[in-house]
Amino acid sequence: MSVTHPEGTEPYEPVFEGHRLEELNKLLTRYPNRQAALLPALWLVQRERGWISDQSMAEVAEVLGITPAYVKGVVTFYTMYHQHPVGRHFVQICTTSPCNLCGAEDVMKAFLKESGAGELGATSPDGRFTVIEVECLGACGFATPILVDDDFIESVTPEKVKEIVRKYL
Amino acid sequence: MGFPHKPHARETVVLSKYFGDAEARSLKGWKKRGGYEMLDKALGMDPNAVIEEVKNSGLRGRGGAGFPTGLKWSFMPKEKKKAHYLCVNADESEPGTFKDREIMRWTPHALLEGTVIAAHAIRAEIAYIYIRGEFTEPLTIMEQALAEANAAKLFGKIKVYLHRGAGAYICGEETALMNSIEGKRGNPRIKPPFPAASGVFGMPTTINNVETLVAVPHILKNGADWYKKLCLSNPKSTGTKLLSICGHIAKPGNYEVTLGFPLKDLLYELAGGMRPGRTLKACIPGGSSVPMLNREETESTLLDYEGCVEKGTMLGSGGVIVFDDTADMVYQTMRLTRFYAHESCAQCTQCREGTAWTTKILERILAGQGKTSDLDLLLELAENMTGKTICVLSDSCAAPVVSAIKRFRGEFEDYIAGRRKPVLAA
Amino acid sequence: MSDVLISLTIDEVPVQVPPGTLLIEAAKQAGVLVPHYCYHPGLPVAGVCRMCLVHVEKQPKLAIACATQVAEGMVVRTAAPEAKAARESVLEFLLINHPLDCPICDQAGECELQDFVFQEGRAATRYSEYPKRFNPVEDFGPDVLYVPNRCILCTRCVRFMEDVAQEPVLNVSERGDRAFIGIHPEARLDHPWAGNVVDLCPVGSLLSKDFLHKARAWELDKAASVCTGCSQGCNITLDLRDNTVVRVRPRPNLEVNRYFICDHGRANYRWMNRGDRIEAPLVRQGGELVATDWDEALDRVRGLVRGAGGSAVTIASPLASTEALYLARRLLSRFEWTGAFQMVQGEEAPLAGVPNLALRADRAPNGAGAELLGYTRDVTGAVAAAANAALVLVLGESDVPVETKGVLVYAGTVLPDHARGAEVVLPLANVAEEDGTFVNRDGRVQRYFQAKPAPGMARPAWWVLSELVAEHEGVARAVGAEDVFDMLAGNEPFSGLSYGKLGMVGARVRSGTGVPA
Repeated sequence: MSVTHPEGTEPYEPVFEGHRLEELNKLLTRYPNRQAALLPALWLVQRERGWISDQSMAEVAEVLGITPAYVKGVVTFYTMYHQHPVGRHFVQICTTSPCNLCGAEDVMKAFLKESGAGELGATSPDGRFTVIEVECLGACGFATPILVDDDFIESVTPEKVKEIVRKYL
Repeated sequence: MGFPHKPHARETVVLSKYFGDAEARSLKGWKKRGGYEMLDKALGMDPNAVIEEVKNSGLRGRGGAGFPTGLKWSFMPKEKKKAHYLCVNADESEPGTFKDREIMRWTPHALLEGTVIAAHAIRAEIAYIYIRGEFTEPLTIMEQALAEANAAKLFGKIKVYLHRGAGAYICGEETALMNSIEGKRGNPRIKPPFPAASGVFGMPTTINNVETLVAVPHILKNGADWYKKLCLSNPKSTGTKLLSICGHIAKPGNYEVTLGFPLKDLLYELAGGMRPGRTLKACIPGGSSVPMLNREETESTLLDYEGCVEKGTMLGSGGVIVFDDTADMVYQTMRLTRFYAHESCAQCTQCREGTAWTTKILERILAGQGKTSDLDLLLELAENMTGKTICVLSDSCAAPVVSAIKRFRGEFEDYIAGRRKPVLAA
Repeated sequence: MSDVLISLTIDEVPVQVPPGTLLIEAAKQAGVLVPHYCYHPGLPVAGVCRMCLVHVEKQPKLAIACATQVAEGMVVRTAAPEAKAARESVLEFLLINHPLDCPICDQAGECELQDFVFQEGRAATRYSEYPKRFNPVEDFGPDVLYVPNRCILCTRCVRFMEDVAQEPVLNVSERGDRAFIGIHPEARLDHPWAGNVVDLCPVGSLLSKDFLHKARAWELDKAASVCTGCSQGCNITLDLRDNTVVRVRPRPNLEVNRYFICDHGRANYRWMNRGDRIEAPLVRQGGELVATDWDEALDRVRGLVRGAGGSAVTIASPLASTEALYLARRLLSRFEWTGAFQMVQGEEAPLAGVPNLALRADRAPNGAGAELLGYTRDVTGAVAAAANAALVLVLGESDVPVETKGVLVYAGTVLPDHARGAEVVLPLANVAEEDGTFVNRDGRVQRYFQAKPAPGMARPAWWVLSELVAEHEGVARAVGAEDVFDMLAGNEPFSGLSYGKLGMVGARVRSGTGVPA
């Protein structure tokens, strides 16, 4: 399966300075050690940069006093952290059994077509959408739920997909 | 955004009373509805007294294990020598389950109230509410509610923090949840040590589910006896439960019933029954990790912990997945094992390799290349994956396989014998 | 109260162990090796491989022996049918993605996966319709290659780097059957003790580049020895193929190096195979060094010793055995004697997770032994004294040039140009070619054993010196290194010691720090 990702080519600028460093420092007060702020710190990086590069992992490691390898082990464990740049809008479609029974795979196919992404994990040629299939999103009674970036949209049917895609163009 | 339904007459509306009531989200609205009165009462009680009341009520963990809550709280050290922690499990990822999200997005203060009462009971100064990363709306709502509560200084010395997960079903397992809070991979831990002895950051910890905690203020308000009387069958299963009904059903949604309620009535009466022209084929009553039931079993099951065990399944998280006669049981079993293969943390050999192998065999069957020996192989693999690992994800993968082959063997044999057209590419 | 032992039965053998003992360790007392991968006594318990499942009476589920503590009256059956079936299934699961690389895998012959599959695995696979997971080989660092396909994710390597080396440079990446051991692209596995992950790896997934494809495990002869890289005195095993040392591995010693050796020691073996050895005794004849036999060479030395008077200097190598150093001093006891050794220094590199274990600044194994026997580090002073000494004996030290108006006797393994002025040159065996002892920096006397024959006519230093001392003093010759040690043990601080008492782990001559067991 071939996937295309737009590559980030800018030189690396640290994330944790100024108000972002302040935010991290506030987070650190919640935990008895620095390592526990790792997941929130990674969310911060992804919020700022859209994805988490190896260099960002090294930066987080340094700020928290742990090793880059340790950070990488954590990043690769959790599926919501992007290890590559993704399209401007990241679409997650649940296809686990309860939604599967309610036509989730048709919703998925509709999204791949309407967004132009074509393949799961791929980004549309215009860079707008990356579409992936995910496991249970915890909204089974409102099948099929999807996430577009941080927007949780319930009760999506193949008919509604075109309109949703248009909203995010 | 979906709205919940109007309560059915046969529901016992306690926890879901304000679902759909947008005003209940605000501190002002919540207080108007009697919120935080029990928190004040609890903070003035001796922690042991709170534990006793909850113990007497018979409240059991609503996350899936059904462990008596008061008993769990009593495992915490009586003498405070180290920091105590409460972790709230809002990682709701069990397929079929969607009750905790409703609790959080309609009654966030109910969760905060239950959390702080529990923290007080176990002498914890810090509570982490672990919300799965995908729950963006509940997270925002909980953040707002928490900000309001903190501004009003409602929690005394107890600090409540929200901790966002990042996409891992296994973090709903209590020891994996603790590891995730500690900034580690969400790997479950071997037990012993148990969380009450050495939990998050090595400190005594209790982990409770969202639905369990929001029952606590009601128990304090109306008394343990009131809660005990909410019981339709076995006295060891008391109180109400939010059943999340989904799949092939007319009115999917959360329904709150007293424990011991007949599953048949829940499906046909409260949830509107099958879709037009369809008949019930199978049902998983407690989230995808529990064995599935055929129609006869479904229609004779009482929804409490013992009633489900009697039928060879479990109440679990109460995620009721309904399959009608159009459902391809082989495909759905494969989709479930694929879920577990994706979510396996990779520690234990049986789970890491077995979930993937099981999925591959089922995919091969669905691609028209199954062999007659495959079913025995699947059953043997399931046996090898049960009861031998650090956590029960491995067993959870085995459960649908074993129960589907037992009850719907014909569908598997149809694929293997070529009587059914393949649905997957070879 | 703390002496109370717990009694339990393992495979019908009664066993008594201290409370807190893990079943897997208690089983060793019953003579039972519970199959396992992720467990290692030098690492924190993980409990992930699930290989050590055993049956414990009255418990509903099988228990992992590596994480279960003994309890009074426990009845454990490692060979119960359910336990064997469970272990067989773990092996089956491991083999579905593990490639059948045995014919090309370095680990073959010393592979724990081979061993346990042979012992209790299935005869054939049931996973024939699918491709195995494939990832390319990765170069982790200076000496370590990672072959992901063979990895069974026991995580010993990750735990070693995290907990023992305390530099978490390895991780588990991804999840489920996609998981593999990862390293951050900016990092390398170049920690001074990182090579231990190769030993720890139960299969051929982490490999030493140095040892890659050099020998088959069953071709190797092994001998117990002590590392000569520094003064820590780590216990090692020398692996030889056709009388050539090809590998160094740690030998467990809970008092010294636990289960580990550093990379410097690990790589410190090529010199043992040097080809430029002195292969015959040489005596000066007509202005030249001429090869001869031992009788003539020893006679010449005896004559020189008898004929000289006044001062004598010994420049010894801190790699010389305690036995040799002792005899060398005894031989020259009637002289005004100066003895010294040159200790090369290097940077210390501790293994953070083990107290008192480090690659030491003193880069030779027997400085402490030499000092106990009266040698000092003042090699400059000794060289100065040698200029006017009557007799200078160089014992194994080839890097310190020394000139004398008196007589120079050079005993060593190689002959440097600056020693060509010696009257007599005696060829010596190196550490791999003799028995002997070293005293480490904590005063622990440890035995090392001969691994290969010495080249040509070279002999152990203890033999050479014993021949001289015996003749000189009219006492019996030593027949083995042990005889010399017994002589040595007549003196403080070695009194009371013997090879028997030293055994395989050694014994201390003085109280010091040492590694807590």
